[in-house]
Formats: sequence, structure tokens, C-alpha cells
Amino acid sequence: MNNYLEEILLKLESKRPAHAKKLRLNTNYLNELYVSRANDFYSQYEKHLLRENTDLDFSIDCYLRMLDDMAIERMNFLRQGKYSSVSLMEVEKCIYNNPDMMCYHMHGLALAQFLWFDQYERYSFFADSLAGYAKSAESYLEIGCGHGLYCYTAIKLLPENVKFEVVDISDYSIGICKGIINDPKVNFITKNVLEYASNSTFGFITIGEVLEHLEDPLVLLKKLKDLLSDDGISYISAPVNAPMIDHIYLFNEVQEIRDLINQAGLEIIEEKVVISEHVSQQYADKFKVPVMFAAFIKQKQQ
Amino acid sequence: MDKAEILSQLQEIFRDTLDDQEVTLAYETTANDVEGWDSLTHIHLVVSIEKHFKLRFTAKEIQSWKNIGELVEGIISKK
Repeated sequence: MNNYLEEILLKLESKRPAHAKKLRLNTNYLNELYVSRANDFYSQYEKHLLRENTDLDFSIDCYLRMLDDMAIERMNFLRQGKYSSVSLMEVEKCIYNNPDMMCYHMHGLALAQFLWFDQYERYSFFADSLAGYAKSAESYLEIGCGHGLYCYTAIKLLPENVKFEVVDISDYSIGICKGIINDPKVNFITKNVLEYASNSTFGFITIGEVLEHLEDPLVLLKKLKDLLSDDGISYISAPVNAPMIDHIYLFNEVQEIRDLINQAGLEIIEEKVVISEHVSQQYADKFKVPVMFAAFIKQKQQ
Repeated sequence: MDKAEILSQLQEIFRDTLDDQEVTLAYETTANDVEGWDSLTHIHLVVSIEKHFKLRFTAKEIQSWKNIGELVEGIISKK
């Protein structure tokens, strides 16, 4: 298999050397499994790009555009102490329904999955434990699929008979996810998850980085509780202090996410917390460096 | 406030923000000369400088400085 990871880093080096150097430094502690997983996903991703008559160069330009957006959002966040977007309606109008913005944002995020060590740490937490937690699941639901890496991984790791369903508010997101996964066994639905209904519950539900896109994440967590079978497990992740163009709800600290999960009648089985830079907790607190939270959760025992 | 005074105060801000008491700034210093001065800490530095000197830079200004000397000039022009 091609070394896509190296190819992407070399391309980035020619366009933004300091950033590429930092990515290499940040990920140099990761092992061969990381490289192998990265190349597997990027290979699948490149097939999608070629079907769409484009290539990794296009994707890298998208990634750099996303980085520029992030720098602006971060600057505003540190100055004002809040995210720039305040309502779902506003984000839906300006971003989710804006194909140009969704295009570069989604392609940027797809590349970032294996360029940012904190993204990989979360992914690894998911991929290493999914098969164990979902061993009795007959159905898998993903709410907010993004580019599809998590669903792609679940299809590979879970048994053939598992039914897959994916719900996302954005047509563009569904399109890129469908394109990358390229598997007819997945039922894709474009819908605001709060308006989504199902006749049956699910044995495993993934909600990766969705809570921060909502005005009231507790509503989604309660919906998750309803959609999850009695013995079902869910993987959930959300960032703290992580301004992005489409983030609305600000978690100031990890405990706020834990409290919401508890409030919704759910219980954490296992969690992972990763600071998005190699800095101390004290530094992260002082400069509000993004912190990533991920957990496997279940229905709270009565 | 003269240039030397601003440079001295900037040095303290850099040391505090980069958590490195060894940082020494000169007018010719660039990001390549200072360990830890990257795209993320650049944002932290800008926000700390804005807060300290009670001013606000535009996005264009933030991207325009080629060295510390230009940053010092940028601060003087805002005062």
C-alpha cells in the first residue's frame, strides 16, 4: 500500500513547512499501527477523491483553508471567551447548506483524522474497544457521520449481519461519507437527528463530536438514551474549548460533559481525555487549549 | 513608551506565554529563532500582547510581521 501519510506530509511541507514540522513532531511517538490505519483510511479516501475527479492536492488545500478558519475562530474565542456561532439556524444557513464551505471543511477534517495526534488518540480508543463493546449488537447507528471514518471502521470490525444506519443534518456530509465508505449495506438519512425517529432501538450508537454543534446538547443525550437498547453501548466524544466555524455549545471543562451524560440518565463505562497539544494541563487551562473527551457509555443502572 | 521598553515587555510576555524563561528577543528575532513559537502559540502571544498593551490587531496586521521589530512598530502605531 502507498504511504499516503508520508505523501500528505511531504505535500504539506511544500506549502506550510512549519505546520508540517509540528505535525511530524506531534505524531512521532505513535507506532506502526497508526501508520497502517492512516494509510488504510487515506487509501479509501483517495479512491473517493478519484471517483470525484479530484486528488489529494485538492484535499490539502481544503485542509489549509480549514486551518486558517480555525486560527481566526481561536483568536476570537480567546479574545471574547465564547464561540462565534450562537444558533443552529445560523450555522445551518451559513455552513451546512453552503456546499463550498462544507466541501473544504469536510475534506479538511478527513485529512486531519490522522494528522492530529489527538484525533488519532480518540479514534484509537474507539477502534481498539469497539468489537468488545458491540459484541452483542445487531444494529449500529451513527449520528453525525462527518467524513465516515468511524462508520467505515465499524463496518470492518463488526459482524456481517449488523445493520448500519447513518443520520446527518448535512447532505454534503452524507455525500462524502457515502463516497468514502462506498458500501451499500449502510442506510443513509439526511435529517436533523432531533427529528429522526426509529421503530427499533440500537445495540451500538456512535456520536462523535456532535454535542458541540447543538444549542442544547442535553436534548440529544436524552434522544440517545431513547434510541439505545437496554443493554446497548454508545461511543460519544466532544471537545472542550474548541472553537470551529460550526461549533455552538461551549464546554468549558470536561466535567460539564460528564455531568450532562449523567443528567440524561446515562453512565460512563470508560473514558479518554486528550489535550490537543503536547502541553501541561496547567498550560491548557491557562490558554484554553482544546481538550478532547471520548467515552463509552450505557444506560444508567436503576 | 519607547521601542526598547516595548521590546523588554514583549520579552516578558513571550517568556510567560511560551513558558520558557530563556527566551531572549531582539528586533531581528523571527519565529524560526524561538523554540515553541508556532501557529498555536502565535495566537496565544497575540492575545497576551493585546491584553497587556490594551490594543487590538487586525487579521492583516497579525500576518504581516516578519520579525519582532515589525511587531514593536505595530504596537507603537496603535498607541
